[in-house]
Amino acid sequence: MNNYKWFMTLLLFVVVFVLQTTVSEWLQILGIGPDFVVIFIVSVAIRFGPATGCFWGFLAGFTQDVYAPVEWLGANTIAMTIVGFAVGLLEERFLTLNLPAKIGVLGLAFFVNDMFYFLITGLEKDVVTNLFITRTLPEFAYTMIIGGIAFYLSSGKKTNV
Amino acid sequence: MLRAFRFIIELFTERHGVVAFAFFLVLGILMREAPTAVRESIVSSALSTVFYPVQLFASSINDFKSLQAENDHLKEENARLRQETYHASEGLQELARLHTLVRFDDKWDFPIVTARVVGHNPGRFLTTLVINRGTHHGVKDNMPVFSMNGLVGKISKAMMTHSRVQLLTDPNLKLSVLERRTRVVGFLESMDGRLLSALIPSHAGVAEGDTLITSGLGGIFPKGIPVGTVHKVRKADLDVMSLMDVEPFQEFSTLEELFVMQKEPEWIIQELLNE
Repeated sequence: MNNYKWFMTLLLFVVVFVLQTTVSEWLQILGIGPDFVVIFIVSVAIRFGPATGCFWGFLAGFTQDVYAPVEWLGANTIAMTIVGFAVGLLEERFLTLNLPAKIGVLGLAFFVNDMFYFLITGLEKDVVTNLFITRTLPEFAYTMIIGGIAFYLSSGKKTNV
Repeated sequence: MLRAFRFIIELFTERHGVVAFAFFLVLGILMREAPTAVRESIVSSALSTVFYPVQLFASSINDFKSLQAENDHLKEENARLRQETYHASEGLQELARLHTLVRFDDKWDFPIVTARVVGHNPGRFLTTLVINRGTHHGVKDNMPVFSMNGLVGKISKAMMTHSRVQLLTDPNLKLSVLERRTRVVGFLESMDGRLLSALIPSHAGVAEGDTLITSGLGGIFPKGIPVGTVHKVRKADLDVMSLMDVEPFQEFSTLEELFVMQKEPEWIIQELLNE
């Protein structure tokens, strides 16, 4: 990854967090919105591999943790680091992923991230079950749709170039 | 020097990035396992040095944009006012807001600091806000925070120029509430970082649509700040208690400006908090 790519990824990182705090709220349907941060981590890991994936996963998770309850510090950081590394490794094993596979990986990453997050925060079983049904499942579907559009647009752009 | 730097980079990127992964994972686990004081220090340092300046900058751009928009709007309004004899609706709204604020101020007799929200969670669970007022402006830890509509939360950490606000949706914030009609005292918390629920004795007959206010017990929040309405009454694990879903008066994701009540916790509570 050269300096230009580092800079562009950093810029994208900032844009993603701005989107997450603004656009994500506008796109909400019945309180359910897409997770742009997971889309970003998966895209970076797919493109640049596991080392870069876990670095940006760590950074993104830490950024979210700074604004989460202090008692939960580290939960997002660990979950996103694992997701970034795992997705990067998956891409490395299977060389190139096509669009449906990328969307599948995004969905899987979303689940893994949420499961690790719930596990690390130590929320009660009833609360986790409730969150899984009312938040994880609908947001998983929404994120896959938005992620699918993003992947399609970015792959189309590359083809044209 | 360059060789050493290259060695570190290669160490992190070779072997499928396992070293990098192990490094970041251990860092994450260390943060997770650190004592609360260390965690607080990590969060405060990161917020003060990196995140707050960035958010303040982004927020200033927004302000500049809104200032331009406001300028255009005022020009239009000026033109309209030349033809109209009545007050501008904008001015009346402003007056209504000020009246509400004066009522808040009179009722509790505590000075109020007006603050602007400059940042909030980029995650999916909104539990924290950052405001542009800190110890420099008289804001201290554990001071109540509210909006025109009702209670928002409390100051979890006041820094010199900014503060972190712990919202009612933070699972670590629990408060005593009073139902306005039946005068029964209950307990409000969020178990999942999203929905508010109250535990209230069943015999009181609290029903959907009833209003919850702060009870004044607990020593942090004064009595009488509106919190929310009972949205749904459910059975709790204990027959003598009812679990209620609470709809807060204030939608937290749309907050732009809020007020900090300069009320410090009662001394006994302060002692317990210090411990």
